[in-house]
Amino acid sequence: MAENNKWTMIVDLDKCTGCNACVVACHAENNVPIANEEEVIKGRGLHWIRIERYWEGEYPDIKARFLPVFCQQCGNAPCEPVCPTYASYHSDEEGLNGQIYARCVGTRYCGNNCPYKVRFFNWRAPEFDEPLNQQLNPDVPVRGAGVMEKCTFCIQRIQRVRQTPEGDYGPMTRDGDLQTACTQACPSDALIFGNLNDPESRVSRMLPNDRQARLLEHLGTEPAVYYLKGGTTNVGE
Amino acid sequence: MLESSADRTPYWQEPLPEDDELAQQVAHARDEHLLVDARPPAETNSLMFRAMTRTGPLFWLMVLGLGGLTFALFATWVIQMFYGLGITGLNRSVMWGPYIVNLVFFIGIGHAGTFISAALRLMRMDFRRPIARLAETVTLFGLALAALFPLIHLGRVWKVYYMFPIPTQRELWPNFRSPLLWDATAITAYLIGSTLFMYTALIPDLATARDHLTGWRKRLYGALSLGFRGTESEWSRLETLSNILSYIIIPVMFSVHTIVSWDFAMAIQPGWHSTIFGPFFIVGALFSGVAAVIIVMIIVRKAMRMGYFLREEHFNAMGIFLLILSLTWVYFYFNEYIVTWYGNLPAERAILQMLTTDASPLFYLMLFCNIIVPLGTLWSRRVRTSLPAMLVIAVFVQIGMYLERVLIVSGFLSRNELPFNWINYTPNWPEILITIGTFGFMALLYILWTRVVPIIPLWEVHEGQSRQRLPRIGRAIVPTRTEPH
Amino acid sequence: MTSLTRRHFLKISAAGTATVILAGCDTDERWVELEPYVQPPLEQISGIASWYATSCRQCPAGCGIIARVMNGRAVKLEGNPEHPVNRGRLCARGQSELQVLYHPDRVTGAVFQAERGSREYEPVAWNEAINTLYERLNEAGSRVAVWLGSSTSDHLYDLFRRFTEAIGAPAPVRFDLYSAINGYSALSSASAQMLGRSTLPAYDLGRADMVFSFGADFVGSWLSTTGYSVEYGRFRSQPNNQRGYLVHFEPRMSPTGAAADQWLPIVPGSEALVAQAIARLIADGDTGSAERIERAAALAGEINLEAVPGATGVSMEQLERLARLFARAERPLALPGSPLTGQPNAAQAIAAVQMLNVIVGAVGQPGGMSLSSALPEGAPAAAPISTFADVQALLGRINGGEVDVLLVHGANPAYELPPGAGFTDALQNVGYVVSFNPLVDETAVWADAILPDRTPLESWGYNVVTPTFQGVPVISSQQPVVTPLYDVRPTGDVLLTVARGIPAAASALPWTDEVAYLQEVVAGLPAGAQGGDDAAVRWARFLQHGGWWTDAPTGEEAGAEAPEAAAPITASAAEFQGDAGEYPYFLHLYLSPLLGDGSGAAVPWLQGTPDPMTTVSWRTWVEINPRTAEELGLSHSDVVRITSPHGEIEASVYVYPAIRPDTIAIPFGQGHEAFGRYARNRGANPLRLVGMDAGEDAASFNWANLRVKIERTGSEKALARFESTIEPGEHAHLPLSYGAVHERIEEVEENVEMEQE
Repeated sequence: MAENNKWTMIVDLDKCTGCNACVVACHAENNVPIANEEEVIKGRGLHWIRIERYWEGEYPDIKARFLPVFCQQCGNAPCEPVCPTYASYHSDEEGLNGQIYARCVGTRYCGNNCPYKVRFFNWRAPEFDEPLNQQLNPDVPVRGAGVMEKCTFCIQRIQRVRQTPEGDYGPMTRDGDLQTACTQACPSDALIFGNLNDPESRVSRMLPNDRQARLLEHLGTEPAVYYLKGGTTNVGE
Repeated sequence: MLESSADRTPYWQEPLPEDDELAQQVAHARDEHLLVDARPPAETNSLMFRAMTRTGPLFWLMVLGLGGLTFALFATWVIQMFYGLGITGLNRSVMWGPYIVNLVFFIGIGHAGTFISAALRLMRMDFRRPIARLAETVTLFGLALAALFPLIHLGRVWKVYYMFPIPTQRELWPNFRSPLLWDATAITAYLIGSTLFMYTALIPDLATARDHLTGWRKRLYGALSLGFRGTESEWSRLETLSNILSYIIIPVMFSVHTIVSWDFAMAIQPGWHSTIFGPFFIVGALFSGVAAVIIVMIIVRKAMRMGYFLREEHFNAMGIFLLILSLTWVYFYFNEYIVTWYGNLPAERAILQMLTTDASPLFYLMLFCNIIVPLGTLWSRRVRTSLPAMLVIAVFVQIGMYLERVLIVSGFLSRNELPFNWINYTPNWPEILITIGTFGFMALLYILWTRVVPIIPLWEVHEGQSRQRLPRIGRAIVPTRTEPH
Repeated sequence: MTSLTRRHFLKISAAGTATVILAGCDTDERWVELEPYVQPPLEQISGIASWYATSCRQCPAGCGIIARVMNGRAVKLEGNPEHPVNRGRLCARGQSELQVLYHPDRVTGAVFQAERGSREYEPVAWNEAINTLYERLNEAGSRVAVWLGSSTSDHLYDLFRRFTEAIGAPAPVRFDLYSAINGYSALSSASAQMLGRSTLPAYDLGRADMVFSFGADFVGSWLSTTGYSVEYGRFRSQPNNQRGYLVHFEPRMSPTGAAADQWLPIVPGSEALVAQAIARLIADGDTGSAERIERAAALAGEINLEAVPGATGVSMEQLERLARLFARAERPLALPGSPLTGQPNAAQAIAAVQMLNVIVGAVGQPGGMSLSSALPEGAPAAAPISTFADVQALLGRINGGEVDVLLVHGANPAYELPPGAGFTDALQNVGYVVSFNPLVDETAVWADAILPDRTPLESWGYNVVTPTFQGVPVISSQQPVVTPLYDVRPTGDVLLTVARGIPAAASALPWTDEVAYLQEVVAGLPAGAQGGDDAAVRWARFLQHGGWWTDAPTGEEAGAEAPEAAAPITASAAEFQGDAGEYPYFLHLYLSPLLGDGSGAAVPWLQGTPDPMTTVSWRTWVEINPRTAEELGLSHSDVVRITSPHGEIEASVYVYPAIRPDTIAIPFGQGHEAFGRYARNRGANPLRLVGMDAGEDAASFNWANLRVKIERTGSEKALARFESTIEPGEHAHLPLSYGAVHERIEEVEENVEMEQE
């Protein structure tokens, strides 16, 4: 194999407005079912990417903080070794955590062991009232009951770009040819996706950054998602 | 067997001393101790076999009731397979619930069996003799039922063979880095080991049963006793094999619960990631296991009229054992939590907070059951020898240990590193039904088993009795044991 | 196997053939090639996608989208990267237009309803339906009314306007809740007053360095959300590492309030006062250029500054600081938000905020304010949004029995008007009501016929975009991306067919179908950025690129000339409806960022996506400050009854820490009695709390000046909150603590203050 890819996402928290465009884009792209009201109340809301909202301070000096959380595609993923069937595996070629739905027996160990809580279990068989099922993306399988699923960094898009003749730029795909559904939708450009092993890519040029931090980095998971904390203002300069 | 030399008085016919005072002492000792209260083997054998073959209406009523619970267990499981795990109360943060609690719990109660029969055997603790098989049975069925739970827990149980190391054309092997496979391996090894161990010890009794019973039982026991005739060489081989198996199975026993604890300790879930979990779980397992054996002893003694075999001295000994285990458990528990508390990591702080707020009823009840109840009562011999009191205490310990696992599994999972995802767990009907059904199934298997095998190891009792003498030393009668080796 | 002889080859071939024959006797399942696990199914790709550019009609913003179509099915919508409004991005509402297309409860053909409100629909052949409509219209003469929504395609508006003109009926009313709450007509008339042209103002947010938003939730639900969110992203990372500073005035923290560097919970209805106070302080102070101070002195009306802190909830120090920040900034900008437009003094309030832009000279400047770019000669004009006065006039006509046929397209007046309008009762005076909506909404329930239009992804059309961005005039094109799912007829074609038989209208609407009309319009467009010399090429490029627009202006001229300093502007705080004693709380209504005005409620993706601020989905909630909730003994999921002078609703409490204690907030969006399985009987419509009063200019009804009372009903209904429902406790650890960054921002602010000294 030639050079490996290292797909990376940058989340600029200074720009995230919590608008949920990424969430719906992900539902559309990845055939993620919508949990109904009762399921959400039971704590089974299902979104591969979610906007966590944290309150800081108290009224009137209160801040709401949005934190988009999705699979961090850890370099040292806690979910991988615990899977007894290799349904959760590591792709060195792409630098991603793969999830093979067909191989999953549903021990849910990976879900427990994921500190980011971004692995979701299909508690029931997903339902798409006809003809809503006609919208389903044929590149992505619909997961049945009893299977874990999670954000894949839109691996089907990566594969499509790499496998189609006009999209084949070798292992190193040209920056920008490839967007995940969420980065593409994000109106305020808070999500940036690219290959960190490509020195010309936008993510490579943005990192390292003095605002960068990785989520729960102290756990040693080596996430591929970099968060940029809020920015500074040069008022009146 | 032992009556090879005809000129010696059989051990059960040892005369009473003529001195009144000494005779009284001997009578008292016989009252107290099973092993010096030797009766003719025929008598004790028939005591056992009568109990085995008696199946009154109450028995069948129990079978019916417990069978109903068993049906509930499997029916619920089928419904769950059909509709998916969505019918349970599990949620996106608490993905493991009572099914895993039951796994830990039933493996846990299985620990006392091996410990009592193997470890105490090697330490030559004679009080274990009548209890050994009771306890091993708890082990056997506890393990078998525990092995059911990883299956019930699975999202797609019909694909369970993906977890087996079977050769396929995909050249796929299961992932042996996963603690779940260590678990499966350990449980399998333990199940095989303890089955073998139990069967070995059963052979002489099966042979006795073959010789004393008629009909289908005779044929069954004839086949199962493998032609055991009681020759010197057979006894000596049995002894050797039992010793070897004892030595093998003790480390397996320790490994099993250590590995079960690793399911948690190897994860980075806050509260689980602890180096003390191995021994902590073993002590907890023995604690609940001994309590389980005490419950079974009381029921068997009452229902099968085994007052001759199961005496106050046994309950006393088990009570002391339980007391020691309670103290040890407290030591580990304290250790575990003081370190967590002092460490003051955010997510673990949230767990401690959860124990004293949302989960406080369970937490305080658990402490009451596991600490206050055993430590507050078992120091008294009167309590230890009172069957109703022991039953209540043992049940409390079971509740306490079950709650401990509930807190560790679904309690700890409800708190994690990102506070946005803290979700409490409440069980729904399937978990409750399956759990109750499993207890019913366990009891059903147990009562059926007591009608199939001699639940008291007759030969062990006889052997113990034959090695016991009541020599007189000065003005006292001192029960003395002779050891063949 | 070093060499393969011919003999070997034959042997192998024979064996292979035998195997294949034998295999054929078995089930083929065994011989399927098994994929190794390293190639999971989602790494296999299937088929080739086609992409079609069209435009989004989930709201009136007119964003360009490209639809990914596989095997004839639309599977994904993405922003059109060339489009000057959304620039390749697409919001949650836009994404879910797919589910409008594939909605399971669509009306699949023309239907008649024998008894209005019975919801029993009789399928009918299109010929008969169109014929009936023709007969009714022919009889009605000029006694016809057309009600369109703000998201109705502009070409339909133009066709309907030609039609009503021809038959002598008043122009179509174009009014829905989205345009009402966002104050389209109020903002347009303010533009007309201030800058002489009635259109929506456009704000060059991305290049501004100091933005004061007076309740404009521009990243949530204001005017053109995706466009402004793109601008917001640019605002945060400007060239040379500049980062804009955003101050947001709003009684309840909206997503924009959350994004702001400073959120000031002002007293509801006091936005204009704050703006005036800032103007006054600039005039009285010595910060900023002399020009600015001079203009401020000319424009700032008399105001009792001492009363302002009490009336607005902003301290004098804070006001002074804000005035300095605004006056000093290089490119400051003030945005008049939607609550201003729902107040009785909307015109004054908007003027007070726009005055700030005039003072700092932001009008027509980069990073400033201008008007939506005007279209050149020959291009269609943006369809105007009706004022509330027009709506009242139409209701008057209906009640007066002057309307025989009512045609409703893209609007849902039965849901989107306050109950005081009595819309459904008024319909009794209308002989024939036709709904063109693809779903049975509340209005269609009271219609005699539903002649469902195609959904936007199956339709033709164009949208003249307002507000515009980057100073570029835009007409978004719309074309079908899939074959229509059902036998539903485009409303344009239905209208053209009908008009052919009506003598008065026949000559005004000569086209054979709507595409012919569209082609004619496009042929008449001047040359745009897409080029194309002849009409056919231009038409093709119009469709291919997603519309017509010009290249961005090269100069820094943004298209509006600064007005001459006019008379001083004064605006008082809004007067509230309801007695403060009886109704102790202010009511803050807002459009849900996901469901919008309720037109998004039909779609499961939007219903099931958590609201950004509360993470609630699937229901209506009432936001109450924790302190107020404690005083009232309320907690999460308690169902309360909210009563205003006009009506009452019930909803569950959400304890919301970022709202004034004297204010409660409720989102629009739910409370549908129809509108498909996902929307029906879900939550409450806060419009029930609103009356029909309107301010002097009657651009919109008054919805932002209401007082309410809260009563506990005693029942409980848990809300579907995606967030944790567990109190995190005092010492809960927030991931990626932001404290450090805030200190840095504060440091910068302090530096600014120090420079001042």
